[in-house]
Amino acid sequence: MKFVLSLAFKNLTRYKRRTLITAIAIAVGLMMYIMVDSMLVGAEFESMRNLRWYETSSVRIHHPDYWKERLQLPLDTSIADPYQVVRLLDGQGIVATVRTTFAADMLLFAEDFGEDGNISTLVTAVDPTLDNTVFHFEDTLVEGRFLAPGENAVVMGSWLAEDIGAKVGYWVTLLTRGNGGFYEAMDMQIVGIVNCPNPNVNRTLVMVPLDTASAYLAMDGAATELDLRLSDGVDIDEQTTRVQQILTSAGMDLVAYSWEELAQDYLAIATAKRGGSSAILFLVFIIAAVGISNTMLMAIYERIRELGMMRALGMPDKDIRLAFLFEAGGIGLIGSLAGVILGVLVNVFMVEVGLDFGFLMRDMDMGYRIQSVLRGVWNYKAIVIALVAGIVLSMLVALVPTQRALKMDIPECLRHQ
Amino acid sequence: MIRLENVIRDYQAGESVVHALRGVSLEIGDSEFVSIAGPSGSGKTTLLNLIGCIDTLDGGSIAINGERVATMDKKQKTAFRRNNLGFIFQTYNLIPVLSAYENVAFVLSLLDLPEPQIKERTMRILREVGLEGLENRRPNRLSGGQQQRIAIARALVKNPQIVLADEPTANLDSKTGEDILKLMRAMNRTYHTTFIFSTHDSMVMDYADRLIMLHDGRIVSDERRAT
Repeated sequence: MKFVLSLAFKNLTRYKRRTLITAIAIAVGLMMYIMVDSMLVGAEFESMRNLRWYETSSVRIHHPDYWKERLQLPLDTSIADPYQVVRLLDGQGIVATVRTTFAADMLLFAEDFGEDGNISTLVTAVDPTLDNTVFHFEDTLVEGRFLAPGENAVVMGSWLAEDIGAKVGYWVTLLTRGNGGFYEAMDMQIVGIVNCPNPNVNRTLVMVPLDTASAYLAMDGAATELDLRLSDGVDIDEQTTRVQQILTSAGMDLVAYSWEELAQDYLAIATAKRGGSSAILFLVFIIAAVGISNTMLMAIYERIRELGMMRALGMPDKDIRLAFLFEAGGIGLIGSLAGVILGVLVNVFMVEVGLDFGFLMRDMDMGYRIQSVLRGVWNYKAIVIALVAGIVLSMLVALVPTQRALKMDIPECLRHQ
Repeated sequence: MIRLENVIRDYQAGESVVHALRGVSLEIGDSEFVSIAGPSGSGKTTLLNLIGCIDTLDGGSIAINGERVATMDKKQKTAFRRNNLGFIFQTYNLIPVLSAYENVAFVLSLLDLPEPQIKERTMRILREVGLEGLENRRPNRLSGGQQQRIAIARALVKNPQIVLADEPTANLDSKTGEDILKLMRAMNRTYHTTFIFSTHDSMVMDYADRLIMLHDGRIVSDERRAT
């Protein structure tokens, strides 16, 4: 074994340039893999956080009939006394806020906007005193201030504001149907603009105070949803079940939904993207495999006579096979180590600085809930996988040419030029 | 004792069959220094390959010290070669990344000998073939004659019963070739190893105790001579 290892190591230095080129190919492949994986995992991690922080919260509670009608945003299947639920959950150490979501036409006037117009919007009525205990909009204010209870005011996403040319101080009218089907018009002044990291929200967000909206919509203190904050990293299914048990135990006919149920569309895309990540990994390894296979093929072809000599002198085929596999594994090790080092260095940049894809995200929905800077994460598992796979794969692809050479007759090997 | 009985070896060359050996029968005793001579294509290398258990018979039988090698499987043949046979090739076939010492010691490492014994035997044989002081050099820093000396040391270091040498001097100038033959002769006398070498060089034939002439796959003469 010692001789086999020594021979494999010395053969690594035999064709220095070839070894180096193959190792570089493997290194670049693995570096790309570590970088892409870091970006995708980072994007997914940040997207999920931005979903919970700005879009779905961790758990949402609805009236049992609301879910199947949710796309119509019904106001009549709402939670009758949401603050009773807030208090109940508060007693269990769970922070919750109250919201009502409704569709409205936003009328824009020439006085402020230069010309009259209207756009369809999704309006979220929030409790200004509670909302920031669950969501994080107040932290993203770039202009003006956040909502105050009882005022006729709007806070909107910066991309929406940019699209319609809105500024703090401008007035808009929200035209909608109240609870019962009557038409209602709400004159609201824009008091703040938030630059939300979740592009889907930033592109459409219109927030108004809950009490103001409730009065206009004749909700009689009811709200369409309760949003709950749970710590990051908890078992969401377990916690959703726990919330449901609390509600059921209190005799409340309400249903709790986890953010995963609320964000099914995103998660389906994320799963597909994970498949894409695997495809990238596969391609990277194919490139590395072709490189190492080619190198080993040439190395073995050039050494067929030597191989014949070793077999003639009684070296067992398994030792010869091992020598070539160790040699290929050595190239894989050099390439993989270099790839991991390069990948880690690139990832330091990806984690600390990230890549700004804002120019893409602004006008294109890529599915991710990230507005601009795509940051990586440290996925140690992927780094270890890259390192091990680089070595193992290198050894595996060397098997075929080695086996082929070992199948040749010894005299044929010795005659080989 | 090597005994060949009616050995036949045919090769397929495209559509036609080449009869490399056509019923060769032969006995070679222990410690003999035998030259197999003949023109190109006469079957010299095929005969050596068959005795060396690196080729397969199409007919007849070969027994080495009573063991019928043709009936051995691949692993048994490998082990037999490892334990009993030494090879010297025309083009030396040294491993270029290994030093002279490592090229020789590798044969002993296949026998799983302890490291001190490998070192002692390797250094002794290198000394005997005149390569003392050059043991750390790689083959590319040695002359053709020195490289063939490494090959001889490699063949002899395990004290094999038989050494097979296919045209061992063909790549050497006449002076170096003669030196190599003298060395092989000396080793044959020192270790009582049977040497069988192929050649078509008359100078080389002169060194042999026994000269077997092949022509078209048949033995045409087998003469013992005093050297």
